Amino acid sequence: MNTLATRTASPLAWYARQNPKRELWLAWGTLVVFYIFFGVVFFVLTRTQPPPSPAWDSRKVVQWFQDNHSGILIGFAIMFVITGMTTMSNALIAYSMRRMSVSPAFGYTYLILYSLSAIPGMLLMCIALTVGALRPDRDPELITWTYDFAFLSFIGTMGVFLIGSLVWMLAILIDKNRVFPKWFGYLNLCNALTEIVVSPAWIFRRGVLAWNGQIAWWLNMVVFAIYTGVFIFLLRQLIQREDFGTGPLPNLAPKAAR
Amino acid sequence: MSDIGESDAPPPRAGLRRTDGESLLFWTLPAAAIIWVSAFLLFPGFTPPLSPTLSADQVAAFYRDPHNLPRIRYSMILFNWFGVCLVPILVLLVMQIRRMAHRTPIFSYCMLGCVAGGPTLFLIANICWLLAAFRPERNPELTQLYNDFAWITFTSQVPFLIAQCVILAAAIYFDNPTGLVLKRWVAHFNVLVAAALVPAAFTGLALSGPLAWNGTLSFWLKNIAIAVWIVVMGVVLGQAIYRERDQRALPEEQQVAG
Repeated sequence: MNTLATRTASPLAWYARQNPKRELWLAWGTLVVFYIFFGVVFFVLTRTQPPPSPAWDSRKVVQWFQDNHSGILIGFAIMFVITGMTTMSNALIAYSMRRMSVSPAFGYTYLILYSLSAIPGMLLMCIALTVGALRPDRDPELITWTYDFAFLSFIGTMGVFLIGSLVWMLAILIDKNRVFPKWFGYLNLCNALTEIVVSPAWIFRRGVLAWNGQIAWWLNMVVFAIYTGVFIFLLRQLIQREDFGTGPLPNLAPKAAR
Repeated sequence: MSDIGESDAPPPRAGLRRTDGESLLFWTLPAAAIIWVSAFLLFPGFTPPLSPTLSADQVAAFYRDPHNLPRIRYSMILFNWFGVCLVPILVLLVMQIRRMAHRTPIFSYCMLGCVAGGPTLFLIANICWLLAAFRPERNPELTQLYNDFAWITFTSQVPFLIAQCVILAAAIYFDNPTGLVLKRWVAHFNVLVAAALVPAAFTGLALSGPLAWNGTLSFWLKNIAIAVWIVVMGVVLGQAIYRERDQRALPEEQQVAG
């Protein structure tokens, strides 16, 4: 919007300086980078996803800590550095609700719920497994205690995600500014329902309902992965369509679809 | 939709300046800082920092020592009361971010998402120290477990502190360069502090040396960086609040007169 000269001189510099959507793109980019790190740390480095079994005896648990010792300590240290990136993702999603025709209460509720969720939903697990891996010579019973603490706090923290997804769903369904397609509202419901079906993980130590079971973990993870992929894509479209107005969000112009 | 509440709120009542209460909140910082320093010096585990190489029996002996026990309890009760005094200060930083020339409220939402994170994580460490001191006659292995949880949480939990610095720096970089609310060097300073906090996240990797929780990087560099940040940002924030108050005083008096 400023001079054409600066724009032609260095397109990237212009983008960083003058693009009116640069704050939104920064948040979106941070969100994508965070989920890449999250995937690498949890699935590759620490091997905490898919989770080991809650049915193991303490000897096997100690063995698991030994096998993954460095991965756990390095992987979670990376999470301790980058977890603050989630605030960008939460801010962008809260922003999506501020762009809707609904009360600001929805955006603020989501922002607080998801800001709160990082501690019981992830950091407690990272801390507990770091403590568990810290001293391999600790009493195996106590190592197993940190193991239970870690996986149950991670998988069993449900309410913040349950209510958070429902708040987003409700905002999408009653929104008149067409910020998201209505079917994405119902996908939020699917994500919320997975938080219901993981609850038996607090009770069962083996089988499909245990924390590593086909229902409590696999179903949950598949829905969560689809949901995350979809909202990353839809948030990107939201930024492309954003006109900084207050009325209905315009459709994506076919040529500008890049 | 310019900013949080800004577009929705009615104009402020004449004679009531937003900045009046802000200076009051700001002056809680020096008082809180004095309490923090006193509690820090009172806690025998910080002077010098307790070594992670101590055996379970040595850790238990530390808590059982009649000279240490009351100091552990009183210092941690002080921290429990006043550790959260950082929250109003961080919210005042949010208010400064809202004054910046941004297109969206993304940065203030991010900062709000961080505000409770740091103090909450510190409270988890605080509770573990107090628990270890509650029944010092407990099995030494259990006391050591509480002690490990406290130290690992206290030392490695820098994610929201790093994020605060990076978000504030980004907010300043994205501000209008001709009318900066906070100066450029404040942004550079925050990036530097964020970098100084990174090694502490890796404290789980070593029980001795600079990365250990009593080491040069994880204890001294991290805590000195936090202390310097509080002092420098305290001065910067105080100046910004008083500058804003002076700027607002004039037009509002004219309004009242007219």
